[in-house]
Amino acid sequence: MAIYLRPASLKAALSTLAQASGKGRSAHPLTVLAGGTDIYPTRAGKQAWLESFPRDFLDITQIPQLRGIRRDGRAILIGAATTWTDIVAARLPPAFDALKQAALQIGGLQIQNRGTLGGNIVNASPAADGVPPLLALDAEVDIASVRGERSVPLASFIRGNRQTGLARDELVVAIRLPGHRASSRSLFLKLGARSHLVISIVSVAMLLDQGADGTIADIRITVGAASAVPTRLAALEAELRGERLDASLIERVTPGLFSVLTPLDDVRASSHYRRAAARILVRRALANFMEPQVEEVAA
Amino acid sequence: MTKKPSEKSSGASKDPTRRRKVASGAGVPSAVAAKARPTTSDMVSVSLVVNNVHHSLALDPRTTLLDLLREHLDLTGTKKGCDQGQCGACTVLVDGRRINSCLTFAAMYDGAQITTIEGLARNGALHPLQQAFIDHDAFQCGYCTPGQICSAVGLLAEGRAKTADEIRELMSGNICRCGAYTNIVAAIQQAMGQS
Amino acid sequence: MAPYIGTATSRIDGIAKVTGAAKYAAEFNVPGLLHGSVVTSTIAKGRITRLDTSAAMRVKGVIDVLTHENRPPMADNDQAYKDDVAPPGSPFRPLYDDKIKFNLQPIALVVAETSEVARFAASLVTVEYEEVAHVTDIFAARDAAVPIKPPASPVGFTPPKARGQPNRALARAAVRHEGEYYVPIEHHNPMELYGATVIHESDGKLTVYDKTQGVQNVQRYLCGVFGMKPEGVRVLSPFVGGAFGSGLRPQFEAVLAVLAARALERSVRVVLTRPQMYALGYRPAMVQRIALGADADGTLDAIAHDAVTATSQFEEYFRQETGWSGLLYKCANAKYEHKLARLDLPTSCDMRAPSAPTALFALESAMDELAVALELDPLELRLRCYSERDQNHDRPFSSKALRECYRQGAEAFGWNKRNGAPRSMRDGSELVGWGMATGIWEALQMPITVRIALTANGSAEVACATSDIGTGTYTIMAQVAADMLGLPLENISIKLGDSTLPNSPVEGGSWIAASVSNGIATTVAAVRNELLELAKKVPNSPLANAAPDEVKLADGMIVDERDGSRSVSIADAMRHGGVERIEQEETTNPTADDSRARNTHSAVFAEVKIDEEIGVIRVTRVVSAIAGGRVLNTKTASSQILGSVVWGIGMALHEETLIDHKLGRVMNANIAEYHVPVNADVHDIKVIFVHEHDDSNPLGVKGLGEIGIIGVAPAIANAVYHATGKRVRDLPITLDKLHP
Repeated sequence: MAIYLRPASLKAALSTLAQASGKGRSAHPLTVLAGGTDIYPTRAGKQAWLESFPRDFLDITQIPQLRGIRRDGRAILIGAATTWTDIVAARLPPAFDALKQAALQIGGLQIQNRGTLGGNIVNASPAADGVPPLLALDAEVDIASVRGERSVPLASFIRGNRQTGLARDELVVAIRLPGHRASSRSLFLKLGARSHLVISIVSVAMLLDQGADGTIADIRITVGAASAVPTRLAALEAELRGERLDASLIERVTPGLFSVLTPLDDVRASSHYRRAAARILVRRALANFMEPQVEEVAA
Repeated sequence: MTKKPSEKSSGASKDPTRRRKVASGAGVPSAVAAKARPTTSDMVSVSLVVNNVHHSLALDPRTTLLDLLREHLDLTGTKKGCDQGQCGACTVLVDGRRINSCLTFAAMYDGAQITTIEGLARNGALHPLQQAFIDHDAFQCGYCTPGQICSAVGLLAEGRAKTADEIRELMSGNICRCGAYTNIVAAIQQAMGQS
Repeated sequence: MAPYIGTATSRIDGIAKVTGAAKYAAEFNVPGLLHGSVVTSTIAKGRITRLDTSAAMRVKGVIDVLTHENRPPMADNDQAYKDDVAPPGSPFRPLYDDKIKFNLQPIALVVAETSEVARFAASLVTVEYEEVAHVTDIFAARDAAVPIKPPASPVGFTPPKARGQPNRALARAAVRHEGEYYVPIEHHNPMELYGATVIHESDGKLTVYDKTQGVQNVQRYLCGVFGMKPEGVRVLSPFVGGAFGSGLRPQFEAVLAVLAARALERSVRVVLTRPQMYALGYRPAMVQRIALGADADGTLDAIAHDAVTATSQFEEYFRQETGWSGLLYKCANAKYEHKLARLDLPTSCDMRAPSAPTALFALESAMDELAVALELDPLELRLRCYSERDQNHDRPFSSKALRECYRQGAEAFGWNKRNGAPRSMRDGSELVGWGMATGIWEALQMPITVRIALTANGSAEVACATSDIGTGTYTIMAQVAADMLGLPLENISIKLGDSTLPNSPVEGGSWIAASVSNGIATTVAAVRNELLELAKKVPNSPLANAAPDEVKLADGMIVDERDGSRSVSIADAMRHGGVERIEQEETTNPTADDSRARNTHSAVFAEVKIDEEIGVIRVTRVVSAIAGGRVLNTKTASSQILGSVVWGIGMALHEETLIDHKLGRVMNANIAEYHVPVNADVHDIKVIFVHEHDDSNPLGVKGLGEIGIIGVAPAIANAVYHATGKRVRDLPITLDKLHP
């Protein structure tokens, strides 16, 4: 037996969630469903382990305000149920190139047409390809419940492997990207064991803003799949900020600046390899910004 | 790909909270409700158009779009290769876009236009991609083939792929264990040349 | 006569496959069909102490939950569970008792009115176990491995005997190479999920649509397991969504579906999930040591090939893992040792070219290393060691155009432009490597029976219980029949994949093309003879004095081969004889002549481009030159080789079943994490069929289903060495293995 709810308004969805997460009724909470691309793949695996699959769903795909990209003052808001394909098709400033490049490397086209940005962050996989570009954009998460609305930085929203700060009665409404300089550029590099349909061994998102004098006014570097949570390399950013963007910088990307990463040994790669590959991808991303024009570089 | 249905789907979408199913004896889902015996009222009603044919059904809400096609509508051309969104054998077109039909509940497609492999031929004439797949021997066992072809229909509609490398990239959501990729790319190139 | 044999004829089942009309085992829908969901073990070894199905039974729509405790009777002896290709041992019996022999073993079947309910209820079954320590790691079981025993059954492989004085030859060799090579467990992962639909007919008989490479094998097996009469069970498999060896032996989905159908007297479908398919067979992991000794001029003088392969605790599966080494190259001294490591896993089984891709990964990597040691071009080394005889059995080959494969393959690839030094070739920032390897497989033929029914209107039905697993059997059968009956292709209809049809072996080993095409030839001869008898009775018959072997069938006529003007139309002959339909059924046995070795060969050339810093390898070009006898259909044959090369790329770079040895369980039991190549992993592949005449059978067919994969992985590994100077001896060559 299963429950399937498909509210057409955010208000209805939040009130349903509030009821479902009330006291004494918590054994089978509603699972929020949008693209379904991270929920379904667990089903056969759970069956193989004699684990139950979520039965009761709240489908949020019919709530108009959850989908689409719009401006809110200087910020850009991406609705939680916005698909990867929507993001690729949207007209966005160059600071969002990394997000677009990540979107193009998530699953196949069939997944990109269904999978959503909100789902990617709520799922909180260490290898979620959407998260590093968002962290580089200083993303915030707009959250709503019947109790009210709040906005938290993505960096604190994701608390660990598959763990977020989302309460049971809350819904992610949008991802808020604060203002960016038009001159900001960004890049996403992904390393996997085959060309496509692959979980990242390591991924890197880099956002760079170069001053008129050629120095790095701002740089944000995030590494995915190399820690429980995709991680900003603050020490490296500090090392590079204010420096001239030239080839000598590559040598400053030293292993010690990656000590914040805590990569795992797993079926996809060794921790040693992950750590080394993260550094190589960062150096390549940096080198790419030194090229006369920015191109997509597939690792 | 799909035409407008002659008949519009039901007007259920006006209801702000479409409660597709309420567990017997409980207003909200709960452990108690989950253990209760379902009744026929546990079904959700779904109306959709598949290959220009309108269907209204009462379904177990857990029914995937793939199982709806294969088990309820006897449209077995859409294949189940992994049931986990990992292989693309179940690719169909929803409102012209390719998706994995195993990854979604049928109920999520209330009111949608679905095109499956059975809906590609027109008036007995194969779709150019179907003919190209035969001409280039772009399959062996044939099991991934409907998904490959539907995916390729989506690819042509997207209009992003121009070169063989781009076709390879954008067709990488469809695994072919027989390894017919070389011929799949050739077949798509042939169909592109015709369109 | 329009010659179809040897042409690029499009598949006759193509329209069915591109329109979705082709129906596979789980696609036969009947009213009242029940759905079974399989519950599997979460431990690797031990026994079930408690199995609670009560919660599952309470779910509305659940009809029954079958377990070893409540199932109807099944056979209680090993013989009943032995199928046509079972290895020695005691076959696994699904749902038989409380014993757990491997992780993901089926332990219960939940049967419900819908698949959704069955699947949900299956998650409510609770199980308690008494666990016993297990071993799933071949390296842990290696020391306890036992030498293989030459099998009593004819389907087994007898390892070749040692020859010469290999130890002495190795000791005196001017140049030696010795190395250990590893290939992990691989799973077939056909695209179609394993499934069976069992239709409980009104007369109590069962019609079983099963995913299998041998409908009659499954039928005999089910009769054995359930004590049913052959006429009570019909097994069909008109289309098979890939199998690659996994469907040679009957699998448990068929047993479970039949068990439920018999218990409930209802029609039942059981479909395995993708993770559950990792409890079917697999290509055994293989640890090998190869020692080669050569003279300074590159003459091979000694080969020692030792292997340990994996099997289950209850059956002894192996093939000719070590014997290929002494067969492929000329070498006076050779010895082999093959041991089996028993693991708490399902029994390993045949997977595309069983034993050869793994064995030749080791041999051909070792030959490349020997070439490096000798400072010889690797192709030149192969030519210097070229063998004109099968030295394992001291006999000539029926045909062997391998030299021509080397020549044409090298030319097409541009091998002469290769700079032999490792790390010497670059394309921009990428290292470029060129490698090559040889392939060898068997050209087998099996007894087969073919029935042909010819009607006076000039159409024919050709029937045989073989399968088409994507290999193109439907099409080549039609081509051969059309040519030999002298009819247009569209007048031929093919029936296969039905246990009630004339006898066929399982479709495997690349033997069906040779078996069924020659089988058709035999039966056509019988049809021709009957037609000739009728033609002779036509008034003033121009064929009155013709002998059967002097006439052929062409363009709807019976024609005197010596004088084409002397002919009678098939329609006239049948009409005059008052015959509406001619039906002949003949069995064809392969030649019993063991005086010649029958093999197919290949030369594979591969180019890799490597981003060395991160270890990303792209296989940018492969040329595969094949000597495989007569090619019946250049289009489908080419597809067989193209697909095999993709398998080889997967084997070299991606494929590996990873087991958590603490749990004794596959960790990547899905196709997101068990990597096979995707479209973007495959680049330029060129297939060459060299001319090779073989008279082992009338049609000169050798079979092409396996030869294409063999040699691909070592060619790629050798190219990786050439590009980087780094030798990877354990597959797959994942990114981190090239990392410093």
